[in-house]
Amino acid sequence: MTSLIPILSLLIFLPLAGALLVFALRRSASAARWLALVFGVAEFVLACVPLAIDRQGGAQVGVPTGFFLYQDHGWIDRFGIRFTLGMDGISLVMVILTAFITIVAVIASWKVKERQGLYLSLLLALQGAVQGLFLSLDLFLFYLFWEAMLIPMLFLIGVWGTGRPVYSTIKFFLYTFVGSLLMLLAIIALYLMHGAQTGSYTFALPALMHTAVPYQLGLWLFGAFLLSFAIKFPLFPLHTWQPDAYCDAPVAGTLMLASLLSKTAAYGLIRIAYPLFPEASRALTPLVYVVAVIGICYFAWVAFAQRDMKRMLAYSSVSHMGFVALGIAAWSPVAVSGALMQMVNHAITTGALFVMVGMLDERAESRDLSDFGGVWGKVPVLAFFFLVFNMASAGVPGLNNFVSELIVLVGVFKVAPAAALGAFLGSVLTLIYTVRLVQEVLFGKESKPTVLAEVSLREGSVLVLLAVVVVYLGVHPGPVLDLFKAPLELLLNK
Amino acid sequence: MTLTELYCLMPIVITGCAALFVLLCGPLLLSSSLTAIGVTASAAAGIWAAFTAPAPIQCIPGLAFTPLAQLLIPLFSFAAALTLLLSHGYNERRILKGEEYPATVLFALFAMCVLPCATNMLILFLALESVSFAFYILVSMDLNRAESGEAGLKYLLMGAVAAAFTAFGFALIFTGSGTLALSAALTRPENRAIISAGWGVLILGMAFKLSLVPAHLWTPDVYQGAPSPVAAFLSTSSKVAAAALLLILLGHFPPMAELRVPLAALSVLSMVLGNLAALRQTNIKRMLAYSSVAHMGYLALALLTGSRDGYAAVLLYGAIYTAMNLAAFGAISSLSFEEEREQITDFTGIGFTAPVRGGVLALAMISLAGIPPTAGFIGKFFIFYSALKGGIVPLAVVGILSAAASAYFYLRVVAQLYMHRTESPAPKPVGFAEGLALCAASAAILIIGVYPGPLLEMVETALR
Repeated sequence: MTSLIPILSLLIFLPLAGALLVFALRRSASAARWLALVFGVAEFVLACVPLAIDRQGGAQVGVPTGFFLYQDHGWIDRFGIRFTLGMDGISLVMVILTAFITIVAVIASWKVKERQGLYLSLLLALQGAVQGLFLSLDLFLFYLFWEAMLIPMLFLIGVWGTGRPVYSTIKFFLYTFVGSLLMLLAIIALYLMHGAQTGSYTFALPALMHTAVPYQLGLWLFGAFLLSFAIKFPLFPLHTWQPDAYCDAPVAGTLMLASLLSKTAAYGLIRIAYPLFPEASRALTPLVYVVAVIGICYFAWVAFAQRDMKRMLAYSSVSHMGFVALGIAAWSPVAVSGALMQMVNHAITTGALFVMVGMLDERAESRDLSDFGGVWGKVPVLAFFFLVFNMASAGVPGLNNFVSELIVLVGVFKVAPAAALGAFLGSVLTLIYTVRLVQEVLFGKESKPTVLAEVSLREGSVLVLLAVVVVYLGVHPGPVLDLFKAPLELLLNK
Repeated sequence: MTLTELYCLMPIVITGCAALFVLLCGPLLLSSSLTAIGVTASAAAGIWAAFTAPAPIQCIPGLAFTPLAQLLIPLFSFAAALTLLLSHGYNERRILKGEEYPATVLFALFAMCVLPCATNMLILFLALESVSFAFYILVSMDLNRAESGEAGLKYLLMGAVAAAFTAFGFALIFTGSGTLALSAALTRPENRAIISAGWGVLILGMAFKLSLVPAHLWTPDVYQGAPSPVAAFLSTSSKVAAAALLLILLGHFPPMAELRVPLAALSVLSMVLGNLAALRQTNIKRMLAYSSVAHMGYLALALLTGSRDGYAAVLLYGAIYTAMNLAAFGAISSLSFEEEREQITDFTGIGFTAPVRGGVLALAMISLAGIPPTAGFIGKFFIFYSALKGGIVPLAVVGILSAAASAYFYLRVVAQLYMHRTESPAPKPVGFAEGLALCAASAAILIIGVYPGPLLEMVETALR
């Protein structure tokens, strides 16, 4: 359905316009803050609009099946590059997630001291790029947004980061950039091949799906896509940029990285890489299983050894992303919908935990485990939320992560029991380090007494918001899973 | 001479007359009015050329207003106008007085306007050498700095050798084809060997002009020694002019199989060594010089395809590279005051103390690294597109990997601009002319990056 108001373009350009406006008002920090929040909320409202419209919609001529919102404009006609945006259930959830996380990021950045206007402006620009990526149906456009995300992220880490920000930011950038460039070559190769076969040179994703790719070549091309996505994912052993970047980034930067940028990679695998190269992806599936399971177990193990809370969460975060990879690799309706659900849940839970570590860091100016202890007695509200999110992360039933990890495990168990078993062991390890984290921070004895302030109204609102989602998705994931159903059927039965 | 012919010749006439006028009347006029005249003349020539339909010219042998000229003259004029705007403030700060400077820039532009109009090998050669000649002077213009004179001398000596090679190449091609006129060139099979030899020698000369490895050694020294606005002009227009010469010749003497191996070698070496050498530089002008070597390697890669797509990519990349390097050198030149600011560490915190110039420099770096949504990405995309389409996959992979490595040294500048805690003292505010030039270059980078359609069409028309 092509609606009268170009919602899809607006979803991209609203944050970009917000970024420009906030940048223009950067001299006044409070004006910039409020404006960023207004744009964040407006984007969220806009993202929720498609929930209210008729999503079944009759298939229209020229609109790929399954997409209930669709926009198509000429852009670089000479090369068949078009500005094509489409929304199905998967992108709808991702778009809402992005809008939601950005609001959290804006509120979590309320107290940034230096150049706050510029900071928020970059945050909004990043949001615009991420939204564009989730909506692109043209591979060139997808690549453009994929790369464009790097620029705001580069500055967010480099300028406002702590520790060794320049080192981390350049490492992050180079890793992702190298992978992306190979993907670019693969995209061009696919485009040329499709053109040679059909005579129509286009980057349109639905059209490219029908390209006959020779098996050998398919392996190379899929490999290039896989490499690029695996770096951003990040999958073992391409993760080494990740702990540095997560640790040294400012709170909102970590939030965007962990909650959204890693999801863009998973989304790319589901939307593009697997459907484009079904044969090659099947051939490489064992590899993905292995790295996913190694990831889940190894990162959980490494997380256990960390004393820096943020670093611990960074490893915990990649460990949980392993479930997403596992679900995608199984490529069955149950497993992939579990992976998608896990993407949402991971974004919420990991995001919440990073925000909380940010709060603790702000208060105690330390992230070292041994500097905390007895937090439960000092600031019960903060401690309560910390406990909730950690329980969610560990996969306690009734909270969100449990649902998705279970679905993934069920889905994977049918096709690859060994992988499911490995992942299950990994989740036991998760339990161990989470218990230790909670025990030391909330109930342990502190080495040097620190005075902590209770959560403020602003912080409280974010935490409540996140906690509500955690509980809601934990007890009632049905509506979200329903959204995935139809598009997944189309993707899997291609 | 008919009216149409005069009409077609106007860009050449305008720039030629302006150069002479500035040179002759310079002593009587203020330096700002000289700059104004120069900029106006360049703009006029560019706009005139852009809106003139291609047509043959009978009255002067060896000249025609070709479709290529319709694209390149506006491009060269853009570069010359920006160079003049940039050098106005720069020259005042460096006490570079006199009308010679704007006159020489205009003379270089005059020669650049002639080059794409050439339909005759002699005119082609003369135009190319006139461009180089103007640059020998421009590079050594800064009498207050010993490096400038040294750079000029180096450039002249190496350039003379290259000119000899080029001339020899033309002579051989002339021998082989029997005519100087490009359109009448006969490539009889029995003469192929001579023409191939001509190409071989010519490619050597052109490798020098384009700073392809191994003929690139002059580049870092000359860029470092030359006044920054001159380096901007030199690194962009003179390269595009040399690439255009190759395109013109390739159009008439179709690509020969013999050319592939040397060109492939030049391309790979330039991409890899250029980027590797740039990694190690601490001086930003030298870094840009080596990066320019690498970028010319990309151009050679597209040339190598011998296809229309490849040639289109060459022209497109030439135009985009012009905008990027003008922005980069322009920002550097406008940030140089009493001291030439050229160590990368000299730029610490400039992104915040001089937001416009720092921003332009950062944008230029991001674009040179080829990250969307900047023009540099579009340029790289079409280079690698043409390479893959032309079937030179291994070279494309080498190129793209070396491009990935290049991101490191471009980012280092961005990091220096924004990500270090200590800040250098704030530079003086930017002048109007320089600000205008920087804005124009950045606008070009962003507009082409987001909406390259019109430029693509112009390139397509130029190749018709």
